[in-house]
Amino acid sequence: MHGDVEAEEAGGLRTAVRVSTLALVAGLPVVVLGGVAIVLRPDITAALDGRAVAAWRTVFTAIVIQGVPFLLLGTVVSATISAFVPAWVFTRVLPRNPALAVPVAGAAGAVLPGCECASVPVAGSLMRRGVPPAAALAFLLSAPAINPIVLVATYVAFPGNPWMVAARLIASLLTSVAMGWLWIRAGREEWLRLPKGPAGHTPGASRAEEFRVSLQHDFLHAGGFLVVGAAAAATFNVAVPHSVLRLFSDSLWLSLPMLGLLAVVLAVCSEADAFVAASLSGFSPTARLAFMVVGPMVDLKLIALQSGTFGRAFAVRFSSATWVVAMLCSTLVGWWLL
Amino acid sequence: MKRNVQVLLLLFLGVGLLHISLLTDLYLRYVREGLRPALIASGVLLIALGAVSAARDGFPFNRPRTDGAQDHDDGHGHSHAGGPKVAWLLYVPALTILFLAPPALGSYTASRDEAKAPKAPSSSSSGDSLFPALPDTGVVPMSLNDFSSRAVWDTDRTLKGRTVRLTGFVTPGRDGTWYVSRLVISCCAADAQVRKVRVHGASAPPADAWVTVTGTWHPTGKVGTDDASPALDVTAVRRVPAPKDPYHDMVTGPGGG
Repeated sequence: MHGDVEAEEAGGLRTAVRVSTLALVAGLPVVVLGGVAIVLRPDITAALDGRAVAAWRTVFTAIVIQGVPFLLLGTVVSATISAFVPAWVFTRVLPRNPALAVPVAGAAGAVLPGCECASVPVAGSLMRRGVPPAAALAFLLSAPAINPIVLVATYVAFPGNPWMVAARLIASLLTSVAMGWLWIRAGREEWLRLPKGPAGHTPGASRAEEFRVSLQHDFLHAGGFLVVGAAAAATFNVAVPHSVLRLFSDSLWLSLPMLGLLAVVLAVCSEADAFVAASLSGFSPTARLAFMVVGPMVDLKLIALQSGTFGRAFAVRFSSATWVVAMLCSTLVGWWLL
Repeated sequence: MKRNVQVLLLLFLGVGLLHISLLTDLYLRYVREGLRPALIASGVLLIALGAVSAARDGFPFNRPRTDGAQDHDDGHGHSHAGGPKVAWLLYVPALTILFLAPPALGSYTASRDEAKAPKAPSSSSSGDSLFPALPDTGVVPMSLNDFSSRAVWDTDRTLKGRTVRLTGFVTPGRDGTWYVSRLVISCCAADAQVRKVRVHGASAPPADAWVTVTGTWHPTGKVGTDDASPALDVTAVRRVPAPKDPYHDMVTGPGGG
């Protein structure tokens, strides 16, 4: 009895110490930043008048709200895969050879209707279910880019130019398959912190309970990273006036990487990026194609989501490689078709 | 993140989504109208998830777990039986939409981009007129979209001599000039595009006020090239209430004036 009380007291003390350390660690940056903010306030307010802050909050809120339904769809699909679809389904459907599984998985991306927020948790659960990482990654890249909703949006945004739709489809598929193969050749398992999921399969827990726990965990986890990505994208959106871009529209060789980078920092939803691309009227069709190919595959929001799901070491390498491959593929396809 | 805090977060977010989509029209400040069913469904799903979790895990105090799965940190920043720490960030948008909904984008955003007219509706190879003649009524209500693309690209000058009526918010320009403007979104406010028409012949109402202006086309620059920009000689400016969906650039029905 006596020992228990003592142990409990010691535990209480330890908790108190831990809490106060945490409070200190978390509090210190707040105090420092607060101090800096108070000292520099006149400068900061001049730079960001209240209206800029309001615009930032609106864009930030908009990106999160717009992402939440798709993220939820993605996590529902991924939790369904985790809880209800047995692993043999995937091993039977996909060719055993990973090099063949990659194009199949890439083409299968056409069936997940949604934007990029949905595909990250689904790819994570596919890997958990034993799908080769290369195939899951090809699916991750192609799903937001080639699904019917996105292709129809592209057709609407570029009226009278069906070649743009074809070019987008081909360039996106090419990029995702190339990245899958690249992963087979050069990828390393240790970069990928394979998603473990809430607890794997806990013996005794019902399927429904497993579904709920995995849905809740994945949604909250990915949602937190969606907030990080939205904050970054909103900052660029408000800080960089679009008119700056027009300085670069004259040179093809500058405009191509410019729009590729713009797609990364703006983090426009893949269902809307065709409309944004259509509005960039000063740019060559190939540069606009690059914008639409890169956008669903690499952007700030996605990098944040991927580092949450697969680890930062993976997200940085994978996103930069994808960016380069996507630029090459869109240049190639643009030169061929547009 | 403790499981009871997760429950609270799910409920806040779910109620917040229903608040902006089902109970009010606040969602129109951020996303397109078509997303409403998805938002309502998400809100309902999140509330249901929160309710089930509350029942299973205990709320407001966690029920001790019996299956031996303790909250443990597995070394990458979050414990799986508990929940990811990064999820705390979701409280920001959840509470924002519930209590501090930011305003729709307005003149600040519009003033930072050049007026740009959407291109002609289809390719001009056929040589036909791409812009149908305006209806033969007195004053023609038009969307800013239609007006600006005619003003810039319509080499047949269908606007010539016609009196039109446009509705939008006020964006101040340089040296006392001003524009009647709209932001058009295709998915969410992050992809807003600017439509604005320079107004001549009237002094500027306060920024962000919604107005209906009546006037005639003020040709500026060479029509059919990038030099041209949309402008209007205004005879009447009337303040109007802000529309329900600020990003929907549509023709407003015939009303006084």
